[in-house]
This record gives sequence, C-alpha cells and structure tokens, in this order.
Amino acid sequence: MTTPHHARRPAGFGGAVAAEWTKLWSVRGTWWTLLAAVLVTAATAGQLAIYAANANTNDDPADDAGIVTVGSIVTASVELAQYAVLALGLLAITSEFTSRTIRTTLQCTPSRGRVLLAKAVVTAGVTFPLGLLLGGVGALVARPVLGEWGTVPAAGTVRDVVAFAAYLALVGVLALGLGAALRSAVLTLVVLVAALMIVPLSLQEPGITVLTRIADAFPGVAGAHFLAGDGEPYPSVVGLLLLAGWAVAALALGRAALRRRDA
Amino acid sequence: MITLRGLTKRFGATTAVDALTVDIAPGRVTGFLGPNGAGKSTTMRMILGLDRPTAGEALIGGRPYRRLRHPLYEVGALLDATAIHPARSGRAHLLAMARSNGIPARRVDEVLATVGLDDRAAAKPGRTLSLGMGQRLGIAGALLGDPPVLMFDEPVNGLDPDGVRWVRQLMRSLARQGRTVFVSSHLMSEMQLTADQLVVIGRGRLLADAPIGDVVADSTRAVRVRSPHPDGLASLADRLAATGATVEAAGPDELTVNGVTVDRVGDLAYELGVRLHELSPQGASLERAFMELTAGSVEYAGAPGGDDR
Repeated sequence: MTTPHHARRPAGFGGAVAAEWTKLWSVRGTWWTLLAAVLVTAATAGQLAIYAANANTNDDPADDAGIVTVGSIVTASVELAQYAVLALGLLAITSEFTSRTIRTTLQCTPSRGRVLLAKAVVTAGVTFPLGLLLGGVGALVARPVLGEWGTVPAAGTVRDVVAFAAYLALVGVLALGLGAALRSAVLTLVVLVAALMIVPLSLQEPGITVLTRIADAFPGVAGAHFLAGDGEPYPSVVGLLLLAGWAVAALALGRAALRRRDA
Repeated sequence: MITLRGLTKRFGATTAVDALTVDIAPGRVTGFLGPNGAGKSTTMRMILGLDRPTAGEALIGGRPYRRLRHPLYEVGALLDATAIHPARSGRAHLLAMARSNGIPARRVDEVLATVGLDDRAAAKPGRTLSLGMGQRLGIAGALLGDPPVLMFDEPVNGLDPDGVRWVRQLMRSLARQGRTVFVSSHLMSEMQLTADQLVVIGRGRLLADAPIGDVVADSTRAVRVRSPHPDGLASLADRLAATGATVEAAGPDELTVNGVTVDRVGDLAYELGVRLHELSPQGASLERAFMELTAGSVEYAGAPGGDDR
C-alpha cells in the first residue's frame, strides 16, 4: 500500500466549505427553516403594515404615523424574522454535538478554526441571500397593506433590504459562534434571546442615560440602530461594525472552546 | 505507524489512560484489548486529536493528528457507528467527508460497494440505520481516503455472523496490503482469529504488548481432574493446595488445578490412591490469558454475596 488508487486533490479550505455546504443541504430541516423564515417575515411585515395603516385611520389623531416607507416595515420585521435565521446558524454546530457527528467533522478537518470558519462562510453565504429574499417578501406583503400610507423610494428600499440581509447574516454567524461555545441548542437560544432582547430592554426600561448607552452596545440594539439608519447615538455604520464585532467575538469564543474541550 | 509516548488522560481524579507507550506497526492487525472502561476508546480519541492528552503524545507517521491537513488520506477511523445525523442519508454523510478532503465523489460509490451497502441502504436517513449498517457505513468512511493507517473501535458490534466474518477478512487483507490496522475489542475470541499482535490495557495501564502467540503461551495452563470418589477428590485437593497449587471445585466430581503440571497431579493421585476418570491439561486460550492479565484491573468486578463498597 504505497500508491492510493486515486489521485490526491487536496481540498484546503474550499473542501471544508464544500463539506459544510453538503451537510446543510442534506437534511430536510434546512428547508423547513427557510420556509418558516419566509412565513414569519411575511406575517410580521403584514402585521406591522396593518398597524401603520390603522394608526393613520383610527379615531385618535395623536398616533398618526403618516406615510411610512415599505423599507421601514421590512427592517422592523427583523425582530421576529431573525429567530428563524438564528436557527440556521446555531443548528449548524449544535446538531453536530447532539448527533456526535462533530467527531467525524473534526476527523476530516482537525483545525478547529478552519471548521468554524467554513461553517461561518456557509451560514453567511446562505443567510445573506435569504435575507434579500425575505426583505423582498416583506416589501411585497407590506406594499399593498399600506396602500396610500406607504411609499417605496427605490434607493431607500434597496438600502433597507440589503441592510436587513446583512443584519441576518451577522446574527446567523453570532449564533454559530455561541453554539460552538455552548454546544446546546436550547442554551444557545436562551443566551441569544437574552443578548438580543431581554438584557438591552431591561437596561433601556428605566430611562437612565448610562444604562441606555450600555444597551446601545448590545448586538441587537446596535443592529437596530444600523437598520433604522439612525444618526444617534452613533452613525449607523458604527451599529453595523458593533454587530460584526459581536459576531467575530462569538466565533473566536467558539474556536477557543472547540480547541480546548474534548469533542 | 501509530506511536504513543507516555500518553495520559485524566478526568478529574480518575486516570483513564495512564502513561501508555506503544508502537503500532504496519503490516499486521494489532488488537487492542481491555475490559470495559479500560481506556480503549479514550486512547483512540486521543490518537485522532479529539480528546487532548493530559500528558504525552500520540503520533501518526510521526505527526500529531491535529497537524494533518487532509487526514482522511493518512488515517481512516471508525469510532462510533451511531454517530450520524438522524436526518442525513449515509451517502450524504460520506459525500461530506469526501468533499472535506478533496476525495472524488465516485470514491463514495466505491467504498459503499466495498462494505456492501446498496443504493437503497445508502439513501436511508441516519435514524433508520441498524447498528450493523452503521458499522458498515463507518468502515466505508474509514476507507474513503485509502489511508495507510486504519483504526476501528469495536467494529463487529451489531454485525451478524456473515458481517463478523467479513470484517475479519477485511482487517486481514488491509494488513496484508501493508497498512497499520488497530482494532479494539472486548471479544477475545474475535481477536484470537483476527489479530497478529495484542496490546492489552486495564485501568488505562499497559498490561501486554506482544505477538498473540506469546500472550497465550504465557498464560498458565490448567489441569482438569475428575474422580467418582468425592472424598478422594477432597483429599487430593488438600494435598495440591498444600503444595501451592490453586484448586477450584469445577463441579461435585471435578477440580480445576492451576500452578502445577499434569504429571505432578497424577503422581499425587497415585500416592493417595484416588481413582481418576479424567486427568487432562486444558488448552490455553486468549480468553484465559486475558482474564489473567486483566484480573485486578476490571472496573466493576462482581462481588459475590454482598455490597462491594
């Protein structure tokens, strides 16, 4: 046994990505998650559009929202749409621990960093286009519901849909990194809900400036500032960078955990 | 070649693998034997870089596993036949493995044919695979990269007799091709038929590393004695015990004697005038050798007649 009967074509990092891609699309659950994401986004965008229209037509002129952009409805629907997308990111790693296939994965690609990076590439590579699709779906649903109360400025809507997709891709990678560190899907989801929603909401609730500023640094809030195109408390691009920073930090944490702990 | 140098793994206060130093050479089947909990699987996981050694190192062709860039070309391993995603087909499982190392997809069909899984079986989702099919799939995965080093953890678990014979022939032929074949088992009888070399561990410690013939030859040979006279047999047992032999009552009319030769037992019976119906040396088996080697290293020894704590 000195010559293998097939030529070696070492795959490098591309091989690790191809393996993750193959794994993702070879389970039916992936398709169900995508379907769930579409339905949740459509329902949320529809509901938010109804609220916006109602606010303008009810008896109380105080809550008139005026004419809103379809893009603002799309970006606001991220609150719920993100949970379907989070599932893609965290299941990419936690399902490997549940089924113990993580051992096969690390046998094939012993570099923990490379495995996690390949998963991140596949997660982002799926959730970004998915985000574009979801943004389009949300806009298509919101437009007719808003009727006379909605506008669709071309550049603004495209910007909102792309931002929505970027947010979802980063949150997907954040979920992946956390999942690698925590291993359990349930625990990861609990931490994500806390970090994206519960903790920043609790910090904002009392209206104390310093606590609100701390909340502004949390990934969900930073992402929301980015999506809304806010100029306060920081330029919206800083919100994007903060969210990206959280995603990178989660990957680094996941890599450290994969390297140190027994599989 | 697999090289273990002072390989040690501790979990808290428990030492699962204790300073193992062994070379597993190519061109033969090396059986890895030990009672349950002896540290076999932990050792194999450390060889594959899945568990981090507390001390020492495990090398494959001189390099630690975590340094291998395309390890499927270097080492094939079956660790856990049930570790497959419940919703993923066996074929997709192998395809993902192949792609990770740049192995062409047609190789997946080749190894599926080698292990006897047809298209229908390979298309079934993981949750519906029997343990035997899982073993075949795991072996297929180990063969994917046509590697010079192969490791199998309990590969015959869950296989029918045909499957067991097939695995045995596969191991032998892989070794004949000059590969390093390292197979763990708790089935001594299986190892006696398959292995050339034995590495025996108990409580994480190396108990033996020798050709299988030597391990068997080193074990004490027992002598069976049968007599129709219980009283005579009892006095023979007393005399044998007095000379330092170990005597066990194997039945109302039968003794199993260890530590003396057949000749000596016959002489004593003659002296005492005990009529014998049988006096025979018992063939040494790997099973017996294994029991002797691992005596005192079994994790959960049965404690007859009471609580062992």
